[in-house]
Amino acid sequence: MAAGAASAASFNGLFSVPAIAEETKKQGKKCILLWLCGAPSQFETWDPKPGTYTGGPFGAINTNLPGVQVSQLMPQCATIMDKLAVIRSMSTSPSEHFQGIDVLTRGDKPRPPFTRPILGSVVAQQLGQLDSPVPQFILLDPCPEGNEFKGFKAGNWAGWLGAEYGPVRAGGDYAIPNIERAESISELDHQDREALRSFLSKKFENDRKSEAAAKHNAAFNRVNGLMSCAPLFDLNTLPIADRERYGGGAFSQHALQARHLIENGSTFVMVANGMPWDNHVYQHEMHQMLVPELDNVLFQLISDLEQRGMLDDTLVIAMGEFGRSPWLNEARGRDHYPTAWSMAMAGAGIQGGVVHGATDELGVKVTEDAVDNRQLFATIFSALGIDPHEEYDLPGLPTFSRVEEGTQPIKELLKNA
Amino acid sequence: MNRSRLIVYRLFISLIYQTNQKKYLSLLLFLLINPSSTTAQENHPEQALNSSEQINQFIQSQWNALDCQPAKRCSDLEFVRRVYLDLVGRIPSPVEVKDFLTDERFNKREMLVDQLLASEDYVQHFTDIFDTLLMGRTEEDTYAERQQNGWRAYLESTVRENRPWNEVAKEILLARPESKEAQGSVWFLYERENKYQEIAEAVAPAFFGIRIECAQCHDHMIVNEIEQRHYWGLVAFFNRGKNQKSKTGLNIVESAVGGFSVFADLSGDSQPNLLTFVDAKTVVEERPKNDQKQEDDDELYAKAQLDGYPRVPQFSRREQFVKEIVEGHPLVPRAMVNRLWASLLGRGIVHPYDEMDSEHPPSHPELLDFLAKEFIDNNYDIKRTIRSIALSDVYQLSSIRPQSVNDPATFAWYLERPLTAEQLARSIQIAVRGSFKNDDPLVGSFRQQFTDVLPDETVVNISDVLYLSNNQEFDQFLSASVEEKHLSTQLLELPSHSARVDLLFKRILNRSPDKHETAAIEQYLNQREKTIKPAIDQIIWSLLTSAEFRFNH
Repeated sequence: MAAGAASAASFNGLFSVPAIAEETKKQGKKCILLWLCGAPSQFETWDPKPGTYTGGPFGAINTNLPGVQVSQLMPQCATIMDKLAVIRSMSTSPSEHFQGIDVLTRGDKPRPPFTRPILGSVVAQQLGQLDSPVPQFILLDPCPEGNEFKGFKAGNWAGWLGAEYGPVRAGGDYAIPNIERAESISELDHQDREALRSFLSKKFENDRKSEAAAKHNAAFNRVNGLMSCAPLFDLNTLPIADRERYGGGAFSQHALQARHLIENGSTFVMVANGMPWDNHVYQHEMHQMLVPELDNVLFQLISDLEQRGMLDDTLVIAMGEFGRSPWLNEARGRDHYPTAWSMAMAGAGIQGGVVHGATDELGVKVTEDAVDNRQLFATIFSALGIDPHEEYDLPGLPTFSRVEEGTQPIKELLKNA
Repeated sequence: MNRSRLIVYRLFISLIYQTNQKKYLSLLLFLLINPSSTTAQENHPEQALNSSEQINQFIQSQWNALDCQPAKRCSDLEFVRRVYLDLVGRIPSPVEVKDFLTDERFNKREMLVDQLLASEDYVQHFTDIFDTLLMGRTEEDTYAERQQNGWRAYLESTVRENRPWNEVAKEILLARPESKEAQGSVWFLYERENKYQEIAEAVAPAFFGIRIECAQCHDHMIVNEIEQRHYWGLVAFFNRGKNQKSKTGLNIVESAVGGFSVFADLSGDSQPNLLTFVDAKTVVEERPKNDQKQEDDDELYAKAQLDGYPRVPQFSRREQFVKEIVEGHPLVPRAMVNRLWASLLGRGIVHPYDEMDSEHPPSHPELLDFLAKEFIDNNYDIKRTIRSIALSDVYQLSSIRPQSVNDPATFAWYLERPLTAEQLARSIQIAVRGSFKNDDPLVGSFRQQFTDVLPDETVVNISDVLYLSNNQEFDQFLSASVEEKHLSTQLLELPSHSARVDLLFKRILNRSPDKHETAAIEQYLNQREKTIKPAIDQIIWSLLTSAEFRFNH
């Protein structure tokens, strides 16, 4: 599937990356990734197949785009389809969570021994302000568990960019543990001891060219910034009306918090909630709860950003690591399905009101414009004004590109293209 | 013995061997005939090499092949801190450092390694490591249960007595202890509360060094040899067990019937869950035909050998597993030596150490074969393996990475790694209080925060740094450390700031400060002349949270 998808990309031959980069004002671009970990079903979201044997029990509804339908579980998004870009022809390789998460958050398969940085780290490094006290890459995920995602979270996110580009993680009780200075330490003592620590530790790092010490020192720098903006992480500071509008669940509240953090100077916020979408059992019942929450969150978020004049600078992405199988298993679940699935984006350099690609009538195969992870990432980077093909030269290794093999973005999904 | 000369000889011998080129032979002969300081020993380079020397050869020959220039040998000062942390799980005290530095015996590193391996601290440290590898990190309540139910004491005894690993592995997996002392061995299965898939997913990495989770629903997508039937086969070996509490303590009773099922792959084809595993045969077992229900019958059981223990099935799946699968399985010794290597060298010969499959080839296949063979030939002797690695040249390299080398899999420098929670909690106690308790509340608080043991790569979590910066329990531990004999009290009694700085560095970083460090800290103390006590506390914190203290290097 992936090879076919790559050749489809060459039809976008007229697209020129530097032109786009110039037109898209790079400065001030931001991104919120609603990370639907576990992988949502395309049938119950963006690519309904009502009345077919793969389509499931839910119907499809019209949207404000003529001729385009979405699942009946998404009535609010149906009213803002003109602002969304939906890809119905995602087609990727990994069918297991860990590998899928790796590919869809980093943009490509691993190339050991170096680790490709995750999307948030690249965006924070390219567009963020490292001297800002507000963390530039924040992961909001209250769930300490999450099967393979738990293991993934424990790994190296920033890869070769270095620890300072890794995420600051918050969530749980919507507060970061140990973020407040202990009462027994005065502000002066706190500053003094950190100055001493930094002096000793930096000296060790420099004298020995220690990579571990560099990570250690970078983490302390981050913490100092973080402590200075602790109130941003307190959801209680947000208007109750907003909190109610987004809904009571952790995912919804964190989406609101993501908006708040972006408004206050963060560059990339990834919102996740463990791995709730992996519905191998009772898929319909589970999706009946999960999809309406997603529908509301996307609607509120995009409407808020637009109302605040921020949508042109803020890219919102909603996706998981693959889709779900057209057929049901014995537990009335849908299993993993990377062959043909859907995702949605809005804002920044993304053209609204576009539905890209299509699947056959049962949703088994992509019939038009298959999109692989490289095309998707080239599109995301372009929409943020980041050169998708910048090269990384690492000593003793073949050259890496931000997106490999010169893969082109999907022109149809980009404004000004 | 002139070590560098010996290395040169070996290098030539390996060149002759590898290239079959006689020109190197004449060079070697030249060196042998014209040595500046020949000893009797050096005239016989072909004499049997000990295990550490053989490790050196395997590593060296890859350096030669890659034209890789390794780091230089570490100093005694670097060695003493490193080896205390790696073998006994704590930094040395200033006295221990001084004793080693002033020791003039030519083999003092060897003597120190033997001394440490014979100590109770070694037992505690490796029990910590094995507990995490076999059971995983857990909540404090469960740690308490592991203690109360004899698991901790059992693990300690196996380390203290250095029992053969294959025996211990089989004892744990059979979970049918033959003595009161071994009672705690049942806890490995017991803690997992009859959750057979969880048991299988724990047994595979803990004893075989492989992960099988991915093979639950289908054959492993990436690793060909790990098939779905292996996953369900491993589950079947344990699925007749049941936790039982009785007068004799905790038991895992085993049924003689049941536990038959079929599993389906993604295409819907189903297969019976035969008793099998990766790289192993299938144990033959009669299966009831067409879903016939088997009748449970006393005749299917034998009486337990010990009074009060549960009866034992004539055909016991766990016994079959231990006898037919674990016994002689090639991965059991390989997984252990690879893990011991990882714990001393910072990464496995197969990396990650618990993914010893065809997708993760060893960086040094012959070395891994050699270590595994030595391990088997020496009756699965864990301590001997640790000793051989600790005395090898590769363990004794500087941790400063040579600029020309990038790949950690060359082991061309000692890889820096963060201290585990237990190493950190003990070392902080030693630095601040002069002694340590393994059950100090600080240990529990730390292991809930710093959960990594042998991480695949060094990651510094923001949450860990927040903990060190602001956590109340840690703050209270430091401020409570002001009693007599404790560091800050001793520091106040000293006559000068320079003496204070010197003691601070020796107690916490095991070395003297250099002139820049002395100057910076003296300057701070001078500024804080009127509030010297809190100032000293801030210096202690800054040293304890410095990178130099946080890592082994």
